[in-house]
Amino acid sequence: MFDFKLPDLGEGVHEGQIVNILVNEGDNIDEYQAMMEVETDKAAVEIPSPKAGVVTKIHVESGQTVQVGEVLISIDTDGSNGDGQPEEAVTAAAPAPTKASASSSTTTAEPPTATPAEPAKASAPANRGDGPVPAAPVVRKLARELDVDINLVPGTGAGGRILREDVERFARGESVGAPAAGSAPLKLPSVDGTLPDFSQYGPVRREAVPQIRKTIARQMTRAWLSVPRVTQTDTADVTELDRNRKQYNTALKDGEAKLTMTAIVLRAIAVALRQYPMVNASYDADAEEIIYKDYVHIGIAVDTPRGLVVPVLRDADKKPLPQLAAELNQIGENARTAKFEIADLRGASFTITNYGALGGRYGTPMVNWPEAGILGLGRAKLEPGVVDGQIVPRLMMPLSLSFDHRIVDGADAARFTNDIIQALENPLRMISL
Amino acid sequence: MPRETLSIPHRLESLSVLSADGKLDQDLEPQVPENDLRKLYKTMLASRQLDERCLMLQRQGRMGTYGPSKGQEAASLGVAYSLKPSDWMVPAFRETAGLLWRGWPMHTWMQFWGGFEAGNEIPEGVNDLPTCVPIASQCQYGMGIAWGCKLRGDGQVCAAFCGDGATSEGDFHEAMNFAGVYNLPFIMVVQNNHWAISIPRHAQTASPTIAQKAIAYGLDGLQVDGNDILAVIVAMREAIEKARTGGGPTMIEAVTYRLAMHTTADDPKKYRKEEEVQEWEPRDPLPRFQKYLQDKGLLDDKVQKVIDEEIAAELDTAVRNYEEYTFDPSGFFKHMYAELSPDLEAQMRELQAHLDRKKKPAPRQERAEV
Repeated sequence: MFDFKLPDLGEGVHEGQIVNILVNEGDNIDEYQAMMEVETDKAAVEIPSPKAGVVTKIHVESGQTVQVGEVLISIDTDGSNGDGQPEEAVTAAAPAPTKASASSSTTTAEPPTATPAEPAKASAPANRGDGPVPAAPVVRKLARELDVDINLVPGTGAGGRILREDVERFARGESVGAPAAGSAPLKLPSVDGTLPDFSQYGPVRREAVPQIRKTIARQMTRAWLSVPRVTQTDTADVTELDRNRKQYNTALKDGEAKLTMTAIVLRAIAVALRQYPMVNASYDADAEEIIYKDYVHIGIAVDTPRGLVVPVLRDADKKPLPQLAAELNQIGENARTAKFEIADLRGASFTITNYGALGGRYGTPMVNWPEAGILGLGRAKLEPGVVDGQIVPRLMMPLSLSFDHRIVDGADAARFTNDIIQALENPLRMISL
Repeated sequence: MPRETLSIPHRLESLSVLSADGKLDQDLEPQVPENDLRKLYKTMLASRQLDERCLMLQRQGRMGTYGPSKGQEAASLGVAYSLKPSDWMVPAFRETAGLLWRGWPMHTWMQFWGGFEAGNEIPEGVNDLPTCVPIASQCQYGMGIAWGCKLRGDGQVCAAFCGDGATSEGDFHEAMNFAGVYNLPFIMVVQNNHWAISIPRHAQTASPTIAQKAIAYGLDGLQVDGNDILAVIVAMREAIEKARTGGGPTMIEAVTYRLAMHTTADDPKKYRKEEEVQEWEPRDPLPRFQKYLQDKGLLDDKVQKVIDEEIAAELDTAVRNYEEYTFDPSGFFKHMYAELSPDLEAQMRELQAHLDRKKKPAPRQERAEV
């Protein structure tokens, strides 16, 4: 089986639109026979087949936009229809082409080679060998003027190039960590971020930032800069709910997970998100489009010994409450013991954070970009409430909903919160959800 | 103080031997052995098919950006044929046919456009420079080599290629000026294919002809039908003879047409009219030369069939050689000097160490969100 993936048809082309498909599934095609017409930013071109064989599957349709590297068509090159290992796709960027088996038959299926290496995206580390360090003459001159040995200055420019600022910083006796490889540092707007010399006020200690903290910092900065956030707060009377919950937990059958308040709120959120799709959406500012998601995956903010981690509970709207409770326990446990994959942290459409477990009441949670909303649960407390004209103790739980005000209006946010409160205040309603 | 007209002793000729439909002007026909004529035809056809194959390989993701030479085969082939192997040839990047004639294997052409250093490996026995894409750089290389030939007094000449767009760049001017001043054994072949990427010929220089630019530098200029291989051979033979006997440089404007895109990274439909291409298609050098051979009785269906089969087999072998080639990054360093300098050697070691490191799996990176 040979999977043909969309190659870079120009220089630096990332995607193309399928204009026309010239073959059908089941067709016998020759090597170099035209398969489809694809239009990129640069040109509309016909793509000839790199293999002779039978078209077993066409993965795309006319009009569809496909990314470079996406499989367009599968070709059975030897008639065995899927028995063999998938061959190396043609857009693989490995520098060494695979050796082809020397075969002179007309249907020979030599694995295609890799073509020229992709331009490196990440800047290579600076040459710190025998040669001169990379720096412009004006920077070298500055270093001499400041009596700085340029060989000792860490460079933060492309490829470790030493910039004027690096020399100045070094001259002031400050150090700087090179940006983590592969993670483009998010630039803050240009403000003077130079830190004072704290040691003049008392003893200090500097520590390198661990990877997880760098990731948190980057994500927080991005959320802070890119989401016009508003937080709306309210309280839910969970007296009845909590009484029922405790009762439920006293009569657990074997294998049943304890019901937590987070699990119940999770269930209420999942149902409300179906009612208010804009809260479950993302704002694409570049395309000027709103991306509505036909799924409800809830991120669960978990406090772990290493820092904040947000694993995702998928399809929360399709799972009954006992299952949600069980999964929630498992996800939290996995996060705390670092038993998760990166993929487990991706794809949330909304996030819930229960800081109330530690004591906070109201908060202004950060919207977990690119999501549009996050609900913070505060600590529930007995408060004097009014029921039927009488002041009675009620268990009140604060809710803080932060939302992306570009897509979610304040009124929508209020209605969304009201729905959740109604569900929480009427346990019977919860059952019907 | 009179104002009078200066008499500049220069004339410009335009030369064509075969008409657009392949009819011959017998008075101008060059003497070319019959066997050479067949070989030239086969090379031109092989060049065309290699060109088409490379285009497909690029569309399949098997090759990098490609600059096709379709329609310009006669100009480079006529030049390459007229040179001796010991003469120098400095190609630009559409000299597919000329390089095949000079003995470059087909797969090296693929390797060059596939981004491999090996595509620059010059065959034994010819004095060629590798294919070179930067515009007008060839003018300086060629002029300098010709100067070297003159200083050595070895009787060799140098022909360099550039395009019409290159004649608007400074390098062209400097090369022409030196060639004229030092009376060098140099032939500047300008492939006027009418398009400098997306800029039409008339929009990038106000000169009515490219050939007349020679006058300013005090050298002979000649315009030839670049799609007429016989005219190119006639012009080259004269220019080479003159250069070899101390008569100095010539600039030849080969009038041709780029039938395909500039490179695979652009779409000519966006900047030129289809009618213009259709006007030029009948002047395609390949069928014209084919008709000439048929009229001379040198090419019949049987010979054509043999040629077709040979080219098909050569192409398949070339693709296989290209794709079986195992890339050796040390090639980056090895060919600039006869012996590796210490800093190049250090760089080579550093690259090797880097590649060795990359082979190991990358450590898992943690990532958290919110």
